[in-house]
This record gives sequence, structure tokens and C-alpha cells, in this order.
Amino acid sequence: MSVKEKLKKVLIEDLNLEDVEPEEITDDMALFDEGLGLDSLDAVELVVIVQKHFGVEIKDMVESRPAFQSISTLAKFIEERMT
Amino acid sequence: MSPIEPDASAAARQEWTSRSIGSSWQHQCFYLMFRCGGRRAAYLLLYCVVFYYTLLPSVRRKGSYYLNRRFPTAGAWERFCNSYRMTLELGKVLVDRALVGILGPKHVQIELQGKQEFLDLVAEGKGAILINAHVGCWQVATSVLGFVETPINLLMQREEGDIDRHHFEHAGIECPYRIIDPRGHLGGVLEMMDVLKRGEVLSVMGDRMLGDDRNGVEVEFMGGTVTFPFSAYKLASATGAPIVVLLSYKVGPDSYELKLYRTIRVPAGLGRGKDKFIPYTQEFAETLEGFCREHPFQFFNFFDMWQNSPNNQT
Repeated sequence: MSVKEKLKKVLIEDLNLEDVEPEEITDDMALFDEGLGLDSLDAVELVVIVQKHFGVEIKDMVESRPAFQSISTLAKFIEERMT
Repeated sequence: MSPIEPDASAAARQEWTSRSIGSSWQHQCFYLMFRCGGRRAAYLLLYCVVFYYTLLPSVRRKGSYYLNRRFPTAGAWERFCNSYRMTLELGKVLVDRALVGILGPKHVQIELQGKQEFLDLVAEGKGAILINAHVGCWQVATSVLGFVETPINLLMQREEGDIDRHHFEHAGIECPYRIIDPRGHLGGVLEMMDVLKRGEVLSVMGDRMLGDDRNGVEVEFMGGTVTFPFSAYKLASATGAPIVVLLSYKVGPDSYELKLYRTIRVPAGLGRGKDKFIPYTQEFAETLEGFCREHPFQFFNFFDMWQNSPNNQT
């Protein structure tokens, strides 16, 4: 399973996104507001999810800000840091 | 508990503003008074100015939402006096804050209760979240936190056009804290996570919603239901940072106390659901209610935070 696919799956499970299937989440869909509809506090959950499921610790949140745009940007961020 | 209508609760908050009700020249009069006659001169002017403002029904109404709950059996005259006292206490706090900036910190004595406990919590290395409220004078009180070697970050939203100045602005020095603006990217959440991961101190207000209504939960407070933010408790769950309820109050003409009222530990991994954070937010609400019993005129609430409470009496 690719990082993107796994990311979609764990987001649905850990964020309890009801009535959303992984296939419905497009790679360039925005994570916040329109798009997946996450709110600002969900960014906290995203940080936890990335560490829990991918072993990637986001140390500098501000520097990592671009990663929080979409599934693609977050997956790319994870892939670059996965050991 | 009935659900709060987001639009209605937001409208209630919009009625509140952190902007000073005084104009720029009125502030300048106070500054002139301290320079000429110190605190006493400024207080003398304050007693008169507050009396004038208390005569205005609109000013009394803003304070009545809280005071009517705190003193439910008060008659008309007592209500007027209570309104005067609360506005006077707020005025003194603003005078003291400016005084510290203009004449220097030695003009206000501040005693911190719970210093060692606070240092022990910071030493855990997971950062610490200070939860304040609109009580006493947090700006003056936090000026004594210089003994904490780690940086202090404040989540603070300043309204455009506000002429009220902070003590460091009066002093013409650089802000001793890093300010995180809740109107920034993702409400400043990423910056807040950052400072906690670095083991720093994050200071937030626990009694006022800033921004998105989805970030609030309903808790019981002074016999009604209010919406308080739960973001601090969520951050604590994600980072392991302890929450420290630190409230200040004026105890004398030139003295304040800053007291560590409670430490709240939020278990890790509580997840996304806001309901899981209600017990911790309620702990804060209970602490604040205890503060209001001890210092009834130092909780500076000037809007109807109970507007959507089912048993709203105001």
C-alpha cells in the first residue's frame, strides 16, 4: 500500500470521518476547510497520526506548514522522512 | 444541556470587545496623572471617571450578566455598587499595568504562590500550558515569570484600533513574550505545537473563545452553561504538556498575587472528539468559579457568556 493510500485510510479511521471512503479522497484535495473539511485543531491530530502510523516526527511545525496542504503534499513530506 | 446555536453564541461574543471604552485623550490624562502624582493621583481621577461610567446604563448592563449570577439577590442599589466596584477594579488594573510600564516594575509587588510546583512542571520537558482568564492583571503578573528559563509564548489577539497599551509598550521595550496570533495559519495551532515540543511555556486564555466555534465545548459555570475553548486540553493530550491554571488578583494598592490554582493532566491520545475534553475544561471552569467566589470583583466579564444557557436569568 502506498503512503497516499495508507494516509487516506488512517485519516478516515483516526479522525472518524463518517461517510467518507478512501476512493473519494483525491490526492490534491485540501485537508482543511473545503476539501476534507478538517478544522484547525485537527492539525494536532494530523501530527499525532503521522508519528503513530509512519514513525515520522514533525519537529518544526512552521517549517512543515506546506505539508499540511493536501494528501499529496503530506504524503511527499512523509516519504522524504521515512527511514 | 441544549446545544448552543453557533451564530447566537458568536453574536454574544461580538458584543464584547477588548477595546478600551475611553478615548485616546482620556488615556493621556491618566498617563499625565501618574507622571505628576503617581498612583494616588491616577486613582483619584479613576474614582471619578468610573463613577461617571457607572451612571451609564450601557456600562452597567455589560457587567450585569456576571454580577447578577454572582450576587443573585442583590437589590438595585447593591447592583449599582457592585457595578461600580467591578469597573473600578478593572480601572485599577489598567492603571497599574500602565504604571509598571511608565514608572517601572518596582512600583508593583507581585508574589507568586506555587513557584516550585511550576518549576517542577516545566522541568518535565514537555512544555507547559498556562491557562489564564480575564481576571486580575495577567500582564503585570506574568512579568514575574522571568525566573522561568524557558521562553514564554502568548496566544493573543489584539483588536484593530485598540489604544490600550501593554506594560512593555509603555516602557518602550521589546515584548518579552512571543505572541502567537490565533488569526494566523490554522489558528496558530502549529506554532503552539512547536513551542510545546521545544519544552517552552504557552499561555492561553481559558475563558474566551477566539475564532472558530467548533473549538469550544459547553461546560457548567456559575449555574449556567457557557462555551469555553478546549484547544489547550487537546494540545496537552497530543504533547503531554501539563496544564497549569495560573490566576492573578490584586491584594493591595500596590500588590498582586499570582497563584497556581490547579494542575490539570490530560491523558494522551484522547483523539478528535470534543466531548472527551469536557471533563478537563470543566475542571478549569470550576477553578474559575472558585476564583469568583474569592475575588468577586476581579473577574472582568462584560458580555453575556450564558446567552444560550437553558436557565438564563439575565
